[in-house]
Amino acid sequence: MKRVLSLLVLAVMAFGLLPLGGNTAPEPAVAQDQDTLEIYITGLTEDTLNWFRDVAFPAFREAKGDDSLQLEILTGGWGDFDVTVAGWITTGEGPDIVYLGSEYAATYGDLLADLDPYLADWEELDQFLPAALDTVTWDGHLRGLPLLMSPRPIFYRTDLAADPEAVPPMTFEDALSFVEANSAVADGAMQQMGFMDIGSGLFDAQEFIAYIWSAGGELYYEDGTSAFDSEETAEALQYMYDRRRIMMPTETTAGLPPIEGYPIASGSVVSGIFPMWNMPATSDPIWENIAIAPYPAGANGEPVVQVFIDWLSVPEYVEDPSLAVDFLKFIGSQENAIALSTVAGFTPVRQDAWEELRSNNPVWDQLLQAAVDYGRAFSDIRASAELRPLIVEQVNLYLSDQQSLEDTQLFLKEEYDAILEENGYLD
Amino acid sequence: MNLDQLGYHEQNLIWTGLTVLFIIVTSTIVGLIASFILRMAGASEQEQRRAFWGFSFAGPWIVGFLIFVLGPAIASFYYSFTDYKVGQPLKWIDIENYRTLLLGEGAHGRRFKQALFNSFYYTIIGVPLQIMASLGMALMLNREGFGIRWFRTVYYLPVILAGSPAALLAWRYMLNPNGGFINEALKRFAEAFFVFDYLYRGFIYIFEGFNGFYIGITRGNPVGPLKYTLPAVIAVLVLLALLGEWTRGKRSLATRSAELLSIAVAYNMMSIGLVSTRVDLSWTYFFGLLLLALVIANGAQGKRLLVKVWQIGGLSMVALSAFMTLRRADYALDNPDAQKYLIALLLVAAPIVVSFFGVWDRRKLQMMGGLAVILVLIILIRVIPGQLDGDGLRPIGSYLTFGTTIKDAKDVDYLEDIHPYEYLSVHWVYGLVILSLMGIALLNNYPRQRHYLLGGSLAFFGLLALGSFLDGQAYFNAFDDIAKAAGRPNYHFALFHQVTDVFPDKDRVPLWMNNELWSKPSLVLITMWSSGAGMLIFLAALKGVPRSLYEAAEVDGANTLQKFFKITLPMISPAMFYNVVIGMIAALQTFESVYILRTTQNEDSLASAAYFLFVRTFRQLSIGQGAAASWILTVIIVTLTILQFRYSQWVNYEV
Repeated sequence: MKRVLSLLVLAVMAFGLLPLGGNTAPEPAVAQDQDTLEIYITGLTEDTLNWFRDVAFPAFREAKGDDSLQLEILTGGWGDFDVTVAGWITTGEGPDIVYLGSEYAATYGDLLADLDPYLADWEELDQFLPAALDTVTWDGHLRGLPLLMSPRPIFYRTDLAADPEAVPPMTFEDALSFVEANSAVADGAMQQMGFMDIGSGLFDAQEFIAYIWSAGGELYYEDGTSAFDSEETAEALQYMYDRRRIMMPTETTAGLPPIEGYPIASGSVVSGIFPMWNMPATSDPIWENIAIAPYPAGANGEPVVQVFIDWLSVPEYVEDPSLAVDFLKFIGSQENAIALSTVAGFTPVRQDAWEELRSNNPVWDQLLQAAVDYGRAFSDIRASAELRPLIVEQVNLYLSDQQSLEDTQLFLKEEYDAILEENGYLD
Repeated sequence: MNLDQLGYHEQNLIWTGLTVLFIIVTSTIVGLIASFILRMAGASEQEQRRAFWGFSFAGPWIVGFLIFVLGPAIASFYYSFTDYKVGQPLKWIDIENYRTLLLGEGAHGRRFKQALFNSFYYTIIGVPLQIMASLGMALMLNREGFGIRWFRTVYYLPVILAGSPAALLAWRYMLNPNGGFINEALKRFAEAFFVFDYLYRGFIYIFEGFNGFYIGITRGNPVGPLKYTLPAVIAVLVLLALLGEWTRGKRSLATRSAELLSIAVAYNMMSIGLVSTRVDLSWTYFFGLLLLALVIANGAQGKRLLVKVWQIGGLSMVALSAFMTLRRADYALDNPDAQKYLIALLLVAAPIVVSFFGVWDRRKLQMMGGLAVILVLIILIRVIPGQLDGDGLRPIGSYLTFGTTIKDAKDVDYLEDIHPYEYLSVHWVYGLVILSLMGIALLNNYPRQRHYLLGGSLAFFGLLALGSFLDGQAYFNAFDDIAKAAGRPNYHFALFHQVTDVFPDKDRVPLWMNNELWSKPSLVLITMWSSGAGMLIFLAALKGVPRSLYEAAEVDGANTLQKFFKITLPMISPAMFYNVVIGMIAALQTFESVYILRTTQNEDSLASAAYFLFVRTFRQLSIGQGAAASWILTVIIVTLTILQFRYSQWVNYEV
């Protein structure tokens, strides 16, 4: 019985190997890949995905004149983004186009294809906001094409402000006075916040970087080492600390009650940093009482508006990026940039796509003007996945009176330098 | 044939067929291998046939285990010795990842250490509370009556819901400090009943003080002389339990306590000494003495298996130490420091090797005792000139006379320097506790000598506990005074001081998830809410307690508490043991709740070891260090589980 079974198994094995062993010479991978274009898109709405699927791609197929071309959209959130993309990059197999956030050029660097040979001569590239192109550049080479942008200014409620004339404060000093005049604490809990950051707490890592910039500082010295020991970093930290102590006299002060809906419309928040998707629709009458302004500046700095860029990249494992790049150019055209920003609720990165938006909508007009006047792209953040937890840990210790300013700067500097070295950013 | 030319459905069909084929083939191969091994071992035809079919049917699981569990485990073990980062070339770096993590070096090491402390918090505080909650619920629901099944379902429901983001977010709303349901309810009670108000604020005071202190320790704040208090208090508690009539159980308690402390000390030395630069040679000898004492103690009691465990375990550690010494970049056989260290290791290994030979009779015990004395002499010769003059044994002498070591404290840095957190001198106290307990166990047949040793040890450790506690208090006050005089905030145990300097005002509320003092307790509270699974186990166990036992106890006049502690608890102890083991493993692996509930303010105070390794591996793409973290966590879980089984004599399996 066992012998019969063994023979049977061997026969089955031989049969199983047939399709593999009898494989004829494989056709070039390029030819197969070009039948289906796979795109990984993160954090966009269903409407936007439908626009890609039902509007943009059929038009692209028609433009290419290839009816056999298929589009497959893989979706995911920012929560599982790193795991997903790391899996593809580790195995060298995944979608042809990957949607990335602002700081990812430095994270993935050479793991993304150099698109200079495909995009350098593209005349429409001049229309893209230079800060946006900087965001997608790594080691002097374009690694993708900017898709959407989200300027992140400070919004002020002029109707709630104790002194509307004081809006907007443009220096750290004025900003502290503004927060003091517009914050209230009673019964051990906040009743009104003069300022709320994007995480609804009193500190955010991206905001901290913005204040270093607006204090006139940088994250890195010319030799690539961290500049967390600079005077500008100290000024930014001190500003955030003073602001916190105004709104939260002790660390045991409770925060605001839960806010339903948009924080800026709650009546208990006078100013704050919010992405546009967490602000009322631009048609809402409340915008008549909302002012848009940059982050205040330090003694030797200039006000800043952080600009976040979402972009499309082509991973290095894609053997022939030409089809993917064609799709990027197609999506990045003026017409598609306007259509996509309308459906996605973001701002296009092409300046020739702004005209209509600005003339039709005063809110977008103000926002884009702020981006033009004060915009700085949130880019070239090296080893960002490791920097964020370091900032959160160290700055939280300082802000909650558990560590001195000097020690905080020292630890930030030392440990970020070690991280930069470990990740190959320092020689 | 090119599969890519086929449609999706055809491709799926072919891949499914090939997968099934693969499973059949590999399972049959597993069966054939099993059968072949039995044939080689001379088994009968029938046994071979049975093995073939048995292993063939178990084949899918075995193959799955090899491919999806063992394979990745081996790969991750290999990666843990490399600096593998996605996108960068892989380099072998020895135990660098383990060293960084165990010593808490740099940003990542420090965060791992804190994450481990957080996981221990969930285990040490959370699991007992969860067990109490589930047992309480089971006792309430262990009765028949109208709607009882409905209640059981309701209490079990959180188990299904607890991990869901919606339920966790609902908890976040309920726990909102300002306007959340829980704080509002507490506030109303406090307003209505002034006694409750004081109790409630007192609870906040003690609770925040405890958590502030715990956070201080996790951050590596030096605890000063208080670090001597812990082993001294442990010693006093165990020694008090050994008072009174001498029984076999008490001897076992002394031996097992000594064993547990030895493991703790060995682990600490492994993490602080072995993987760091190099251990002071006195510690190497002292470690050897501990090992030898454990071998002798178990050998004298005829515990062959434990003797083997300590012999082989000890020699393995010695071998590992020697290997690591020679692997160090600046160490080679011609390096004098390396030579001294290797000689010390040889001297430590020699008595253990000797212990392998001969039977454990009186003569061998005497000989082993003689070798132990030699090690003691070596230690004393090394220690007396150096340690008495330095910071090693001097503080111990000072505490025994209620003296202080901080009389001339001038600044905070000075205080931190004389009582650094990781200072090894406290291990002398642990060592003395271990030696004292093992001595008591070895004097089993010498009641008078045992009595003297017990009394003397009690007095010694009692004085040490009290003296070091008083000095600890003086140390904390000195820290405060110096910081205040310098006009700088007190960064030493800052949170602890912030919350204990002033009694909470009338309007103080728990800040729950918004504050690091309350974030871990919040998570424990949410875990307690989902204690239904443990409740079911307890409920089944309670159903199995024979009614006749309660009836007999009632006839003897036992009250409810006596019945609970003398009948119910012993009878459900297997269920209790199961819940403790499973609860501990689950607590050490806490991940989902941390992932969902973390915010910028509480991330570091909430992050568990499992969350750390997720972030390190998948967010920061540092596969090597993430793998090392996972192996450290695995070793901790396995060790604690083995210890639980080893010390599970309290579990009663008799019906």
